[in-house]
Amino acid sequence: MTSLRRRAIWGAMLWGALTAGLGFFALVFYFGTTAASRFDAALAARHARAATALALAQGDAGTMALYLADPEYARPYSGRYWQAVAADGTVAASRSLLGAMLPAAPPARPAAVFWEGPGPDGPVRGIAQRIELEDGRTFDLRVAESLAALAEERRRAIRSLAAAFALVAVLSVLGAVLLTGAALAPLRRLRQDVMHRWDAGGRLDPEAYPEEVAPLVADINTLLERNRKVIDTARRQAADLAHALKTPIAVLRNEIEAKAQRPGDLAAAREAVDRIDAQILRSLARARAGNAAAAGYRTPLADSAARLARLFHRSPQADGRSLSVEIPAHLTVGMDRQDIEEVLGNLVENALTWCRSEVRVTAAAAGGTVTVRVEDDGPGIPEAQRAEVLRPGVRLDTRAPGSGLGLAIAADLVEAYGGRIGLGTSEALGGLAVTVTLPGRLGILEAPGAAP
Amino acid sequence: MRILLAEDEPALCDQVKAALSAEGHAVDIARDGEEAGHLGATEPYDLIILDIGLPLRDGLSVLKEWRAIGVATPVLILTARGSWSEKVDGLDAGADDYMTKPFHMAELAARVRVLIRRRAGWTRPVFERGDVTLDLRSGRATKAGMVVDLTQQELAVLSYLVHNAGRMISRTELSEHIYEYDRDRDSNTIAVFVARLRKKLGAELIVTSRGRGYMIDGPG
Repeated sequence: MTSLRRRAIWGAMLWGALTAGLGFFALVFYFGTTAASRFDAALAARHARAATALALAQGDAGTMALYLADPEYARPYSGRYWQAVAADGTVAASRSLLGAMLPAAPPARPAAVFWEGPGPDGPVRGIAQRIELEDGRTFDLRVAESLAALAEERRRAIRSLAAAFALVAVLSVLGAVLLTGAALAPLRRLRQDVMHRWDAGGRLDPEAYPEEVAPLVADINTLLERNRKVIDTARRQAADLAHALKTPIAVLRNEIEAKAQRPGDLAAAREAVDRIDAQILRSLARARAGNAAAAGYRTPLADSAARLARLFHRSPQADGRSLSVEIPAHLTVGMDRQDIEEVLGNLVENALTWCRSEVRVTAAAAGGTVTVRVEDDGPGIPEAQRAEVLRPGVRLDTRAPGSGLGLAIAADLVEAYGGRIGLGTSEALGGLAVTVTLPGRLGILEAPGAAP
Repeated sequence: MRILLAEDEPALCDQVKAALSAEGHAVDIARDGEEAGHLGATEPYDLIILDIGLPLRDGLSVLKEWRAIGVATPVLILTARGSWSEKVDGLDAGADDYMTKPFHMAELAARVRVLIRRRAGWTRPVFERGDVTLDLRSGRATKAGMVVDLTQQELAVLSYLVHNAGRMISRTELSEHIYEYDRDRDSNTIAVFVARLRKKLGAELIVTSRGRGYMIDGPG
């Protein structure tokens, strides 16, 4: 069985059934024996009175009846009987017997004995004794009482005990369910915490858990830490390798260009170098996208956009083109600064490449989602080709580096963070409008009061 | 123009140096950050091409130090590190342009020309004086519409004078900007180059002031 909860509940049910069952049978047994001994004690008392009455009445039936005035002896088949049979066969008996006889077995002896046998109306239990009067006459004296009342009392007791124990069993199972829930709550919380571990600052606090769970939490921390290190190392190595390859590729490309006498010479070699270059850019972008796994970034969007605008305004590419940035100062995004700058840089470079004269960068927040738009007044991209430009894999191999690759890299990065990039037509400028949507924790909106 | 190339990959150095020399530039090479820092701070370069990932000292800190001590030479960063954040950081450290490896040599040469021209306050790529033109992009000179063949040294002298038009340039300064660091600098050969330029392009283009140097009249 794999579920702790089910284990605990089954265990509680079995244990509850066992204890309730044992308790039930013990109580039933106890009740049975006390009822029986009470019955016998009452019977013995009546027998003693009957014996006294017999002695006082000297065997006369009428006088005995007077001494034994219990109304139950007078009511027919009341279940309470006495009977004295003289040696000569004369019978004196309670009216309740209505002329019937109590069984003669077992034979009466001078010492009183208990017996059970058929009565006039169902089985009875009684006491038989041979009593000798002072004048020498002997009587077989029998006192009996119906067992029906005792059986009925026993049945009632079992019924009420069974109801009580059923209630106990139900309560104990219910208690087990609640207890299990309470005991397992830290484990449930741990699971949620592990799922949102980055929100908790990347580390779980063992102190916040019960001492039974704390070692597990510490182990998870170690595991997370090791995992993060392995990923970091792998990513760094991939990035280092990509960077290290760039210089030899530069040498190779220059060599090819120096050897090519006419345009078109060594085209295959040139294309191969371009492909290697594109793959390296792609792999660098992927290594960078790995940062997205972490959380807790808070990068002011306006700052990053301003940094890039500074760069573009100084570059020769911006000659004769205007780049305007309108981003509210309080907008913050949950992305690493390098990553959001990589996204914006690629989008703005792409827009500056294709625009006629104007590029506009704007951002807005609504309902926890930050939307960044980069618009230009260039030719745009026909609707049919938009999906193709953003499709992973295809774009890199079919497009030369520098044309379209930027959009693809930006889309990769944004998607790695769980955001989205959409292409459309700019209403204001008529060219391409690229919309970056950063939902949830990606689009953190600082309180406007915090803005300078 | 005299250019410092700070790059630790020998093959790439040879290629860049060959390409820039062909355009009439004198190229010095620094193989590590220490050497680059020293040369950049002490030699009168017209442009520095700087790799970020240099041995001994990284290029960015070298660049910051130059700017801190007042070296105003244009700097073009040429690096494998090509993220946008790194580009902004590079320009914020005082670079004038940023190129990412692997690059196209033609683009590097073009950017070098733009930076040198921009520093001279020269916005148009073609210099015109009388019937003489010099296309600063191709290094092609014409006289009365006819192409004039110039040697590398002649082009170097002419282009330095053009970029510093309106200013008297001494022979020493000229030799500092057209010869590499480890070459013998014979300022007498400068006179020979100037004489040949006069012969090819007309005596009135370059003004000589005995004992002071040479000058091409400033624009306007």
